[in-house]
Amino acid sequence: MSEHVNEPLLRTEGLTRHFKVGKLFSRQHLHAVDDVDLTIGRGEIVALVGESGSGKSTIARLLARVYKPTRGEIYFEGKPLSRLRTRRERLAYASDVPMVFQDPYSSINPAYRVVHGVRRALLLHRRAEGRKVRRGEVERVFGEVGLVPAGAMIGKFPHELSGGQRQRVGFAQALAFRPKLIIADEPVSMLDVSIRIGILNLMSELREREGVSFLYITHDVASARYIADRVLVMYAGHLVEEGPTEDVLQNPKHPYTQLLVSAVPDPRAPLGVSDAADVGEPPKVVNPEEGCRFRQRCPYRIAVCDTVTPELRELGPRRLAACHVAQADAVQAAAQAR
Amino acid sequence: MSVPAVADSPSVAPLETPARRPGADLWRAVARNRKAVVGALLLLFFFVLAIFPGQIAPYAPTGEEFGRGLPPSSAHWFGTTAYGQDVLSQLIWGTRQSLAIAFAVGGLATLISVLIGVSAAYFGGFTDGFLSLVTDVILVIPIFPLIIVIAAYERNSGMVTLVVVLGLLGWSYGARQLRSQALSLRNRDFLEAARVRGERGLYVVFFEILPTMTSLIVASFLGAALYAVLFAAGLQFIGLGDPNSQSWGTMLYWAENNEALGAGMAYWAIMPGVCIALLGAAFALLNYAFDEISNPALRRRKLEQKGAESLHTAPVPEVAADPTKILEVRGLSVAYASDAGPVVAVDNVDLDLGRGEFLGIVGESGCGKSTLLYAIARLLGAPLAGEITGGQILFKGRDMVTLGERELRHIRWREYSVVMQSAMNALNPVLTVEAQMRDALEAHSKMSKREMHARAEEVLRLVSIDPVHLHSYPHQLSGGMRQRAMIAMALLFTPDLIIMDEPTSALDVVAQRSLMVQIKELQERLGFAVIFVTHDMSLVSHFSDRLLVMYAAQVAEYGDTRQLFERPLHPYTQGLLEAFPSIRGEKVRLTGIPGAPPDLLRPPSGCRFAPRCPHVHERCMIGPPLYEVDGDLVRCVLYEHEREAALAQ
Repeated sequence: MSEHVNEPLLRTEGLTRHFKVGKLFSRQHLHAVDDVDLTIGRGEIVALVGESGSGKSTIARLLARVYKPTRGEIYFEGKPLSRLRTRRERLAYASDVPMVFQDPYSSINPAYRVVHGVRRALLLHRRAEGRKVRRGEVERVFGEVGLVPAGAMIGKFPHELSGGQRQRVGFAQALAFRPKLIIADEPVSMLDVSIRIGILNLMSELREREGVSFLYITHDVASARYIADRVLVMYAGHLVEEGPTEDVLQNPKHPYTQLLVSAVPDPRAPLGVSDAADVGEPPKVVNPEEGCRFRQRCPYRIAVCDTVTPELRELGPRRLAACHVAQADAVQAAAQAR
Repeated sequence: MSVPAVADSPSVAPLETPARRPGADLWRAVARNRKAVVGALLLLFFFVLAIFPGQIAPYAPTGEEFGRGLPPSSAHWFGTTAYGQDVLSQLIWGTRQSLAIAFAVGGLATLISVLIGVSAAYFGGFTDGFLSLVTDVILVIPIFPLIIVIAAYERNSGMVTLVVVLGLLGWSYGARQLRSQALSLRNRDFLEAARVRGERGLYVVFFEILPTMTSLIVASFLGAALYAVLFAAGLQFIGLGDPNSQSWGTMLYWAENNEALGAGMAYWAIMPGVCIALLGAAFALLNYAFDEISNPALRRRKLEQKGAESLHTAPVPEVAADPTKILEVRGLSVAYASDAGPVVAVDNVDLDLGRGEFLGIVGESGCGKSTLLYAIARLLGAPLAGEITGGQILFKGRDMVTLGERELRHIRWREYSVVMQSAMNALNPVLTVEAQMRDALEAHSKMSKREMHARAEEVLRLVSIDPVHLHSYPHQLSGGMRQRAMIAMALLFTPDLIIMDEPTSALDVVAQRSLMVQIKELQERLGFAVIFVTHDMSLVSHFSDRLLVMYAAQVAEYGDTRQLFERPLHPYTQGLLEAFPSIRGEKVRLTGIPGAPPDLLRPPSGCRFAPRCPHVHERCMIGPPLYEVDGDLVRCVLYEHEREAALAQ
């Protein structure tokens, strides 16, 4: 660890994943994730926000090593994942970076008691610690996620728990690894409104107590604001904006982020007028052409947007956006300030 | 930071029953199934015969010679054979081999079908292609002729050959079923979770996939056993087994050779057949029962009228319909039948809707909001198989509850229409948008072809879809466009009421907002009334005139939308509003609502929200009525004094 003091916990470089779609003779490439550079610091909660099909779940599965990247590299504590050779190395990474799934009704095997996943995690990754320690750990992680009394909850079957409790089991499984980063893929979107907050609070408490980092993947901008330090906005496989949560949401630079923020229903605010103009059609990412992928929906579109794909560039302190117009504005503003 | 505000603490968990294995549930389901019980008893009977033939059978199967071809008597119930042996004793001794073959073949075939079916599904790709091909080839082989050839080649072969041959040929049907079941599991998250955890492939197959397929594996075993009983008997009957063995098939063979039927030894020929039929029936009944148990849709439950009658408590007063209202629901109750008794999903709900009004119905999953909506639309039945157990639904003055299917067809779609949650499920995938619209128009009107086309174009334009999409199939439209097409279909006859069941829940926020704005615009332009069911209160905050908050099958709060957002009365409504993080304004720590909604099978006896309520006290032990506060209705004793004040005036 000493050799990578300045190295973030996790970093990706040009992370790309394409899927082949179509028949043998009309093979096309679906660009799920294109050239994504992201970093996650120690003890940081990073929200990855975007609409369905924007590639955010693909990123989760790339980081969890369910998919292999088409191009690019993931560095965990400075070490490239493509260099993981032995099963032992792969298991070590799996225990450092576990994942919590979206659907609590399908992520727990219905044939076992809910403790099954935690027990397996401990057996696979911490076998050496002995039976007694493992049993104590089971109780500890159940207690940590608020499934108390742990002794009674352990013996339940999934169908005996509510959705919120099942999702807590998911977090207990992740905690059993003593993880450094938990990838939470839409962990609250299937839950009822009244219990979502409980899970979000749990995530920030786990960060406080255990120092775990989170990649919180969501389409719900308001919940991202509630727990995340930093937010990454994805659109059509590209990272389009990045920055401290409050900055990005109060002063979005990319037109897509602006649209996203304005569309969030907020009973406390008056209804925006210009909202209905955009019908929210998803972009085409099969064999995409060069150019900004948001341009068909963009109110600020200029000529260069059709020909050059904008890169994610720094606009201000810790603020990045991939937009020709916003970048030009930033340059102009900087010139005026001088 | 402190220990988490235990959100789902077990003290309020709806299910307080001790932990049970799903196996225990399975066992209970078997015990309750009549087919399963009869099948199991039959099988048990044959088992006893097979294990204790020496004690049960009156004589030895061979060797003891009595008179040849004796008729039935008290000494020989089914008479004797042409060789002077007791038919009953031979039957009893023959049970052993039939059962042994059934279980051996069943076991072998099931083992092969599990291995092949599950690996094909799990590994996919080439492995799947190859194994599926092998399965299909075995499936189409005409097994009986093939077995005759093999058995003839292995003349006088023993039981082992028979078992191996039948086992090797009888697995394909089960393998196909198991493959498709495993395929449906392949994308379940718990398998991905196991792989992410670092489990090896074989572990995943044997310890994650197989345990979830128990009932299907049992069914496949029973199916194979049934097939083995019949085939073994058939082979032995045509003389392709060991003619000296003790089995029902061999008995049939000898009976046939001696023309037993014509020679007055009818029981010799008939009884082995009866035994084969009974054993086969035992396996078939069990198989059928397991199919029913693992597939609840096959089971038919009926709401017990006795229990249901006692459900609705308050009689509905006969009041004349209010002509300014398009819809008045009075004392509506809906119940579902379940194995554990009736579940009241809508409990005595009153609501009304003026012309052109937008009513939002809000609640958590399982609170009965969808059931209420289906009941109002008179669409209860599959998949929501509830029954209206009381109350009235006055739509334009007519009581919809008493209307027959024919009268309903007259007003459905023309006067009220329904937009479902998932357009992908509600639209027919093999028909173009125009064909589906034409179907609806033809069923409910007498328009000419040209008129129908014009109307279809018109409604698509209304929802801002280019009419070129009349020729599109649903899968060619985006999610937002599909929902719009659904709304266009609902508008075909410009109804007075459109009932919407979470039409935006599958959409992203941007598309969702755009659709809401469009619905509102159409409503203002065309003047229809809307009932909009959603779990997301903030979604309707700017669109609905009035809101009805449901909790555990009852109305918790009902009133003006703006007033309800600004001054929520019911602690549940307050909690719901507190549960939404806001995108603007100060960042505050939220708490949500602890616990989970109650199980409607056993709702709390007093106020149903009491177990989760921060203001709970002893008066909540008695279920509160709806109190009127500033024109809003709220079901909470906190507002009891308001009613007293009103009465005093």
